[in-house]
Amino acid sequence: MIKSLDPRITRENISENNTIDPLTPMDNWETYEVFHQKKRGDQHMHVGIVHAPNPEMALLFGKDQYGRRGITANIWVVKTANVFCTEYEDQDMFETTPEKQYREAGGYKVMDKINKYKKAQKA
Amino acid sequence: MKTEAIKELLYKMADDLLIIGHRNSEWTGLGPILEEDIAFSSMAQDKIGQSQALFQLLHELGEQEPDTVAFMRNANQFHNAQFLELPNGDYDFSLMRHFLYDVADQLRFEMLANSSYEPLAKVARKVKGELKYHVFHANTWITKLGAATEESHVRMQTALNDSWNYALGLFEEGPFEKQLAEEGIFEGEAALQKRWLETITPVLDKATLTIPAASTWEPKLGGRNCFHTEHLQPLVEEMSEVFRVDPSAEW
Amino acid sequence: MYGNAYIDPNEKANGILAGEDPIKLKEFENRIARGEKIEPKDWMPKEYRKQLIRMIEQHAHSEIIGALPEGTWITRAPGFRRKMALMAKVQDEVGHAQLLYSAAETLGKSREDMTNDLIIGKSKYSNVFNYPAFTWADACIIAWLIDAGAIINQVANAKGSYGPYCRALDRICTEESFHLKYGHDNVVTLATGTPIQRKMVQEALTRWWPPIMHFFGPSDKISQHSEILMRWKVKMASNDDMRQQFLNMYVPKIWDLGLVLPDPNLKLNEETKKWDYTEPDWDEFKRVINGGGPCNAERLAVRRMAEERGRWVRKALLNKSEQYVTPLA
Ligand SMILES: [Fe+2]
Ligand SMILES: [Fe+2]
Repeated sequence: MIKSLDPRITRENISENNTIDPLTPMDNWETYEVFHQKKRGDQHMHVGIVHAPNPEMALLFGKDQYGRRGITANIWVVKTANVFCTEYEDQDMFETTPEKQYREAGGYKVMDKINKYKKAQKA
Repeated sequence: MKTEAIKELLYKMADDLLIIGHRNSEWTGLGPILEEDIAFSSMAQDKIGQSQALFQLLHELGEQEPDTVAFMRNANQFHNAQFLELPNGDYDFSLMRHFLYDVADQLRFEMLANSSYEPLAKVARKVKGELKYHVFHANTWITKLGAATEESHVRMQTALNDSWNYALGLFEEGPFEKQLAEEGIFEGEAALQKRWLETITPVLDKATLTIPAASTWEPKLGGRNCFHTEHLQPLVEEMSEVFRVDPSAEW
Repeated sequence: MYGNAYIDPNEKANGILAGEDPIKLKEFENRIARGEKIEPKDWMPKEYRKQLIRMIEQHAHSEIIGALPEGTWITRAPGFRRKMALMAKVQDEVGHAQLLYSAAETLGKSREDMTNDLIIGKSKYSNVFNYPAFTWADACIIAWLIDAGAIINQVANAKGSYGPYCRALDRICTEESFHLKYGHDNVVTLATGTPIQRKMVQEALTRWWPPIMHFFGPSDKISQHSEILMRWKVKMASNDDMRQQFLNMYVPKIWDLGLVLPDPNLKLNEETKKWDYTEPDWDEFKRVINGGGPCNAERLAVRRMAEERGRWVRKALLNKSEQYVTPLA
């Protein structure tokens, strides 16, 4: 029996050579992705996962693992299996997006024309 | 006289919270799964914090510093219900105690939120959210485990049976019941127990768990008058071990 | 050995990249060189995945095992403030284990498999946690100086290349700053306290100094393998560099308190601007890491006990229709 410096351990009466069966697959349950909203009006942000056997407990666990410090307005959990994602190898689908200036405010510059016009009018 | 009554109320509440917080803290790092380990620790921290707030009120009423009172008494000076000093046992018993006690605690603080003793009413309003979460946690676990598998059902029913008479001891009446009620400070243990039964019954039903037959009820009394099981003295000795290394020191 | 990449000096580097697609490998290396992160479903060399799993898993084990020496004092912490703070600190360490196991899971090893490898003694964890916390002061020294060492390691690793590990470390590092302050406050209280307290903290420091010097591991041997892991940003700093950084930051703070370190050769070398010290006993380090330390057997026996006691709870709520899906991030 282990005589530990930790009284909690000594009380358990455990042998140093205790053996247990290995954990079987899914022993730690499925995973949920956790989304945290700091304050009302903010977007929910993905912060990590919890292992949980049902959504209610995923929320309980999400609260303490990701909301035990600072401020929190709201938490979402989504079963990992229910999240659909694009592939990183398809990132090239997004490649030319930043070049598409015709859909950006910055793509429209009228001051040059206006100034040129005004100058011409004065002359 | 009125102060004596308030002190009696505060002492039993503060000691309840200190002892259950201490017991629950023993699970830290040893819980059934990482996520639950974290959740249970948060609640144990809340309990200790709530206890400290009540010892602070006692200090304002002339008692010694919270640390001194909480950590330097002997078991025969504690007013907690015996239920809370029992060893943790397995997670079934720990969860059942957490459920039975935390519902009572939540209802007690709810009743105190309108107490005429304003300092206590203020604490009660402040801890409302913490307690809501504790009870949400407890209800979820009890209903899920009670109704999950044959093994978990039997374990939870056994834990309920083993807990029951001790849990009834939470509502042991004190010498100032009438006065506290008349002064509008606290409605009383009998009223609390009634509400408690009304609150836990539907949850236990949902968990398919059965409250022991009323004919077998024998509340474990004495805790409020500082009579305790053999488990409390070792606990308080452990709690004060470091303090006693040098009682004159600031730790 | 905290979250520190382990490099087997005997392993030949040319075998490591054998069979990897040269074009994909090039893309992968270019991405890292550009400072971009690798994400879970990206193509990655087998060796990268293997070393990362090993490193993150060991780091996770170190957190959950690390909860034990300090947990030793949870029921005895003196006073409300210390008690709540220690509970919160040990809770954080359990939380760190959760975050790190999650990061390792994204690489394809389940939490169950990692736990199994820990409890049979197959996986390693930080050597320091195989030493006992004899007194309250030991717990205070751990919280200050072991966490300080961990922070140096974790801050370095947070700049590594694997996205999920970096994200976990960012969150962890924020919490570690509380641990460090908490530990320092405790040590200062003891060191500036009564003679009994001072004696207590000096003895604890003397006990913990050798494990602290072991903390970052022996000097790295320069090998092709270690060069590759540096290039892949798996290993972010050399063990000696981290040890020097630690000595630089903390020896003066320890001396400030009038505490004595049990190494007569410890001093800042004015020429090299580095710390000279007596070479730590690396045989002792090896003996302990291979199971021969004062607490190895207890630590694993306790983890087995905890897993076993929780098994019925987990089993009861197991959802038989669920299939394991690798977490996303
Ligand atoms: Fe940590
Ligand atoms: Fe830490």
